[in-house]
Amino acid sequence: MEGKNLTAEQSLEIIRESIERSQRTMAKKSALPMLWWGVCVIILALVISYFWKNHGGYMNFLWILIWPLGYVGEWLIGKKQEAIPTPFVGKVIGQVWGTLGIFCGGIGILLGLIGGGFLPMKWIEPSVFVLGSITSLFSLCFGISTTITGSVIQNRLIQICGFLAGIGGFFGALHFLDYRQMYVMAGVAFIGLVLPGVIIYLQNKN
Amino acid sequence: MFQPLDPLLHSELRLAIMSLLISADEAEFPYIKEQTRATAGNLSVQLDKLASAGYIQLEKTFKGKRPCTICRITATGEQAFRAYIEALKSYLEVSKS
Repeated sequence: MEGKNLTAEQSLEIIRESIERSQRTMAKKSALPMLWWGVCVIILALVISYFWKNHGGYMNFLWILIWPLGYVGEWLIGKKQEAIPTPFVGKVIGQVWGTLGIFCGGIGILLGLIGGGFLPMKWIEPSVFVLGSITSLFSLCFGISTTITGSVIQNRLIQICGFLAGIGGFFGALHFLDYRQMYVMAGVAFIGLVLPGVIIYLQNKN
Repeated sequence: MFQPLDPLLHSELRLAIMSLLISADEAEFPYIKEQTRATAGNLSVQLDKLASAGYIQLEKTFKGKRPCTICRITATGEQAFRAYIEALKSYLEVSKS
């Protein structure tokens, strides 16, 4: 790329190419972490379903393992990947998933503290009619985050995955009161994280 | 009426560098080299020109034991890039009509 006189159209083409390249870079960078987090959620959901079935619902506290497991893996992936900058859209996606983590983590910690008797139950007891389950709510949040990710990187397939994971998980989890909710969660993680990760990876392989 | 195009940005390589940096806060020298397919020497010269104009900031640091140059776009650079786009629009509008 050497210096030469440019027409307005050529200048525009250079800018367009650079922005497209930056989007591809961001997509490529997000594929493996998405896959990794998806696999972590599936494994933990299945492990928790086993312990929940045999020891009781309190085994949900094992969800706390998602943080060290997820972040250590992401850190290792980041170390192996080539040094590429995080474009603005990449930051938006990071913030969307970070916000999801804060909300889900916050709710989980609050429920854990109430379940453990450290906080009064009346804080969360509904005073009017309520319909829902925590897995149902988390599935919906997952679906929304995946759909936003698809919208930001302009990928219709990922938007569809997010929609299916969110809506399917929201209503699916309402059918189960027991450990089987975790199977729904595993399904949501597969459709909402693993599948989009594979799609992004394959689309940006070359 | 045509708006003047910033001569510093109206160059293939410098425009590509600025376009890359506008969508990312910072980028390392090897990344820019790979994306623009420029030679290391030419890229260095163009980066210095952009840095001298205050459009970008160059930070010489180390990654482990290896030297590493990090490039960041500045507020002046962002403003110049926006003005360049506006000027381009005036050329494109004329060529359309």
